[in-house]
Amino acid sequence: MAFSTFEVPVGPQHPALKEPENFTFTVDGEHVVGVKLRIGYNHRGIEKAAESRTYIQNLYLMERICGICSVAHTTTYAQNVEYALGKEIPRRAEYYRVIIYELNRIHSHLLWLGVAGHEIGFDTLFMYVWRDRERVMDILEMLTGNRVTYAINTIGGVRRDITPEMADKVRKSMDLVEQRVTYYKKAAAAEPTLLTRVKGVGILRTEDARRLCAVGPTTRASGVKFDVRAEDPYAAYDEVPFNLVSYDLCDVLSRILVRVDETLESARIVKYCLDHMPSGPVRVKLPRTVPPGESVSRTEAPRGEVIHYLRANGTDKPERYKVRSPTLGNLPSVCEMLTSKGDYVVRIADIPIALASIDPCFSCTDRAAHFVDPSRGKEWSWTFEQIRKYARKD
Amino acid sequence: MFGEVSRHLLRKRATILYPFKERELVPLPKGYRGKISFNRDLCVGCTLCAKDCPSNACEITKDERGNRPVFHLDRCCFCGQCEETCPRRAITLTTEFELAAYDRSALVVR
Amino acid sequence: MSVFLDILSILLFPGFAFVIVLALIYEWIDRKFYAKLQNRMGPTYTGPAGVLQPFADLIKLLAKEDITPMAADRPFFSITPVVALALMLTGVLIIPIGGASGLLSFHGDVIVAVALMTLLAIVLFLSGLFSVNRFSIIGAERAVLQLLGYEIPLMLAVLGVALGAGSLTLAEIAGSTKAWYLFGPQVIGFAIYIVAAQAELERVPFDIPEAEQEIVAGWQTEYSGRKLALFRLTRDVELVYISGLAAALFLGGAGPVLEGIHPWMQTLLSTLLFVVKTVIILLILSTIRALFARLRIDQMVDFSWKYLVPISLLQMVLVRLVI
Repeated sequence: MAFSTFEVPVGPQHPALKEPENFTFTVDGEHVVGVKLRIGYNHRGIEKAAESRTYIQNLYLMERICGICSVAHTTTYAQNVEYALGKEIPRRAEYYRVIIYELNRIHSHLLWLGVAGHEIGFDTLFMYVWRDRERVMDILEMLTGNRVTYAINTIGGVRRDITPEMADKVRKSMDLVEQRVTYYKKAAAAEPTLLTRVKGVGILRTEDARRLCAVGPTTRASGVKFDVRAEDPYAAYDEVPFNLVSYDLCDVLSRILVRVDETLESARIVKYCLDHMPSGPVRVKLPRTVPPGESVSRTEAPRGEVIHYLRANGTDKPERYKVRSPTLGNLPSVCEMLTSKGDYVVRIADIPIALASIDPCFSCTDRAAHFVDPSRGKEWSWTFEQIRKYARKD
Repeated sequence: MFGEVSRHLLRKRATILYPFKERELVPLPKGYRGKISFNRDLCVGCTLCAKDCPSNACEITKDERGNRPVFHLDRCCFCGQCEETCPRRAITLTTEFELAAYDRSALVVR
Repeated sequence: MSVFLDILSILLFPGFAFVIVLALIYEWIDRKFYAKLQNRMGPTYTGPAGVLQPFADLIKLLAKEDITPMAADRPFFSITPVVALALMLTGVLIIPIGGASGLLSFHGDVIVAVALMTLLAIVLFLSGLFSVNRFSIIGAERAVLQLLGYEIPLMLAVLGVALGAGSLTLAEIAGSTKAWYLFGPQVIGFAIYIVAAQAELERVPFDIPEAEQEIVAGWQTEYSGRKLALFRLTRDVELVYISGLAAALFLGGAGPVLEGIHPWMQTLLSTLLFVVKTVIILLILSTIRALFARLRIDQMVDFSWKYLVPISLLQMVLVRLVI
């Protein structure tokens, strides 16, 4: 029974969020009784921008959809265009793509682990994990030339090759990552203050995860064994063996465990790929114009399934390009996690860690904006043509 | 966690004191994509670099020998596509990364 | 003449000016040690090894624009930081710093010492309330809830020591040799005091009222400029106050060091002893800060009433049996 509730806005500017979104929580004391979500703060017009750039230029635009899972978007894009062209890329390029993809996954999960520690006030874990993440960033810098925007994929393969010395350095780094992440798993599981904050918090039951179409580690932590790498293998995943990590505790602790185990799996995948990399060329020259047609490509980004759709019309620029990023799929699950019902009580203190547990990347997400006029109480949506007409009016 | 935390009292800091002291400790691998360096003698004026630049950083102008690119580093995203596309290898990306300047004209590479 | 000397000693040494400088240096020690435990550097560039950083922060805050929200209760909103600082500075007068007793010493000053801490928590609650901001109200409510949790164990730990020493005057407790031993019943009291002090100071794992990730800055959200500077200074002086109280109760205080030396030398050595003891307490508090995650408010009150209160009661029983 609510005596008097008030609304607490989390976002668009809030220390809990790294990127702007608006969650309005209805609170009664310390208990959260309702949540309303508004997205669209980070809309940048990327899909429209993709229509006026050539396929080669779009590679670098796609990378900048998200800084953390940048390789996911470039790989999916390159694959998409390669499917549309109907061509295959060399096997060595596919293995290399897997290596970079998994290194990106390691770096993303380590970033997330640090941020999760920070959200529950455990700054020491945050500092230690990010220090270890620096080793992975240095390896990526050595392999690709930059710590964040790798620009390693191109249409037809990858742009650089790997030498045996680089491969040795990568192996040493992976050993270090495995050692440190095993320690964090042990230490975090033994730390009582951390466990009390994450156990039983942010519960997403299995049937809800299925119903709300959650993706990625969010759904794998609720017992749903869904991973695009196993379902619909792309690049070299049809040959590289890996374990599908899934836990069924359905709370934030489960998601932590899934991501930590996935990091260890990724380190093993990288070592396997380095050992079994076939020789040969790393790229093949493909035509710059794509024949008319449609193609869809999906990969397993660190946050879940990312889907790209391309409609080509025979020129060197895409006619329509659509990106569906995983966080959009996870947002309804977050609203479900943050609503108290029955015995399950959500408190204000649970909000940041539950939000962070889906690993939100709002930059990736925003593809549509919703307009609100608070003075007249109206809400509506506009198409792009309507926005342009409105902008040209004055 | 207590053992790990207390062991850090004896460990050296993980911070590198760049830029004031430890510049040489900054990891800078050979293939790092930094400032563009352009060799006018090798360029033949095919303008393919400007066609492939995703951020309009490569602008084609004319000089006495024909078409040639001019690079605007404030627009450049350091993707290296121009380096890849150039058929004569006239463009290379060096490892120089300290590019801040007070004047935009300092950010133009000819 | 002696009135003039008294006023001078209250204002300068070992009174307000000395304690404020000490408080800012302690903040530096805390930040440096915390950073070292996390494998990084703390403040580095302002002054040698960054020791002037807290001073720089204070001066910067004093110079910044001071915004009062329209909805806030203006006179009370402005007065609470001053009251908070005044409370802490008053409390510091009781702590023995430069000798066997503080500048103020009377029968029952231990109770005043604890009461000042409770009053401070109430003032923080009021400051959150007068801000009329959603986040401040949540932070204020959490501050009071946390007070319910740690106040009883804190008082019991302090009273246990008073019981052992048979006096309610801080100077006598510090001077009494029975208060020297950590080994014995007082070690449990010391542990309880440290945990409750961490909750009083609102530091991790108990920085729930100002949880940055959840409610922006809790009760401090609407304060900026000079008022925020005063609140931060209050926090630092509280650090000196709590460590000083712990040093006086459990570690023997800044008592007379050697017999028959010049009184100036006496004061100097006593102050040095005080600094050494309080820095030890401070390092313990900083280590706790680095080791744990933040608790939730219901978990904190739960923990406090399930564990801290029974153990502190046990401690009082032990003291009664041993003495």
